[in-house]
Amino acid sequence: MRQFLLFFRKEMMEMRRSFKWLWVPLVFLMLGIIQPVVTRFMPQILESSGNLPKGMTITIEPPSGSEVMAQTLGQYNSVGLMILVLSIMTLISGERQSGVSQMIFAKPVSYVSYAAAKWASMLSLVTASFVLGYAGAWYYTMQMIGNVETGAAVKAGLLYLLWLWFTGSLTLLMSSLLNPAAGIAFVSIGAAILLSMASGWLPRFTAYSPGSLPQISVRWLQASDAPAGAFGAAILCLMCMIFFFMIAAYQVKIRKSNV
Amino acid sequence: MTRTLLQVRELSKRFKEREVVKGISFNITEGSCAALLGPNGAGKTTTISMLAGLLQPSGGSIELLVNGSPTTDRRPYIGFLPQMPVFYPWMTGVEFLLYAGELAGLTSREVKSETGEWLEAVGLREAGKRRIGSYSGGMKQRLGLAQALIHRPKLLILDEPVSALDPTGRKDVLTLLQRIRRETTVLFSTHVLHDAEEICDEIIMIRNGDIALQGSLDHVRRTYSEPVIRLEVGGDEASRSWLTAACGKDFVIHSEVSGGRAKMKVANVEQASRALMADAVSHRIMIRSLEAGHSTLEDLFLKVVQA
Repeated sequence: MRQFLLFFRKEMMEMRRSFKWLWVPLVFLMLGIIQPVVTRFMPQILESSGNLPKGMTITIEPPSGSEVMAQTLGQYNSVGLMILVLSIMTLISGERQSGVSQMIFAKPVSYVSYAAAKWASMLSLVTASFVLGYAGAWYYTMQMIGNVETGAAVKAGLLYLLWLWFTGSLTLLMSSLLNPAAGIAFVSIGAAILLSMASGWLPRFTAYSPGSLPQISVRWLQASDAPAGAFGAAILCLMCMIFFFMIAAYQVKIRKSNV
Repeated sequence: MTRTLLQVRELSKRFKEREVVKGISFNITEGSCAALLGPNGAGKTTTISMLAGLLQPSGGSIELLVNGSPTTDRRPYIGFLPQMPVFYPWMTGVEFLLYAGELAGLTSREVKSETGEWLEAVGLREAGKRRIGSYSGGMKQRLGLAQALIHRPKLLILDEPVSALDPTGRKDVLTLLQRIRRETTVLFSTHVLHDAEEICDEIIMIRNGDIALQGSLDHVRRTYSEPVIRLEVGGDEASRSWLTAACGKDFVIHSEVSGGRAKMKVANVEQASRALMADAVSHRIMIRSLEAGHSTLEDLFLKVVQA
């Protein structure tokens, strides 16, 4: 436990000094705010773009607050995922690659504590960033668009957060398996996109797949009734995370350095 | 008191098809300083990494005996400095030592006093407050030594501690090692023979993953050193041709000539040098220098490596 705290403190310090604690939450906040703001000012934006024929008027049916929140989650699923993966991809492989792990693992340290600290720091960064961004989106939607149903928004947000946790865990697993940063990013983002697309194409086979979490949370916001499979997908997602963690901890143990 | 501290038996490592370390065995006694010698690619770093617990051996055993009984986990008793120590550039020297000390299991109070002490010992008291990113190679090596020693290990393992340093850095680290070896058993790998001769008392020479030769430095010197004459003459044509002719004399067992210098292995140094000098005088050849002595560790190393 003491070693876990030591490792965790070091990870937090590293993320602070490399400004990850600044730019990742900021990007998430920006992503969250963009959707309601753009939606609100869409008529004005179109008008000022200036190439409409004279006299033509556009009437855009204003979307509901929940719909805008659902679109925000769509933003996170593209740019947000990429930012998340890029910010944590070298968390494990970086130390192995640079050689600093040689000094760390020559000491009597626990590999599980080491991996757990990586996971804990990743989860805190992801959670803080997403909560900030989602809260920002919610606030601006309430101000500019209209009411959002609280229960649905909270549940959708939690499910979506679970999906981000899953992607983060997948990235850390890749980071423990592969060395090149580009490879880690490519495989993690690719797998996340594939999983979430597969649940669109083959809904019958992927009912409980973690990849269906983004769709479930979007549906929750739009329909406001509990979509089928939410509970199952959440449980399976958590199990996958534990499984990924165990593989990564084992990988850390057998591949301590690059010699 | 000569108790065995480290016992290595038939240690081997295979990477896919290539066997890098081929079943080597050796002991290291408590309080000694052993050098692992060998050319580049002989398997030094692989051996050291296995001893430090970073690589899983393919076969054989490594046992660390603390107070005479083997330990299951030897990491608490080992301090390790890798070949090119890499740190977190965003940490300061002090922060890294605190981190390393606590990872090694010291309490936070112990680690504070030890950090101050070791920073002082390696001469980084002032630089300790700066980020490691701004350190020079020599400073990193010294910080690496401090982090390896902070938990007072029984055995200090160093991989090429001075190979990458400039002469001043080398001298600093060697002086530190001289001091450390009074308290700790040291094992280090190097291909700089001069360093090994300077501080160690035991050598293990490996070649292609096999032990070519091992023993105490004195024993190796006594057993393997050969009588050698080093001779230097003037650069003119007559001297040169005389030197070549001299190398062909019957008392010369083996010789190497380069320019105006020759190294001759002989059976009896005294007789041979007398004969050489007399011959030179009769041919009116100027001898610039003549050294009658024994082959050095470097000669032995070259012989072992090229054999």
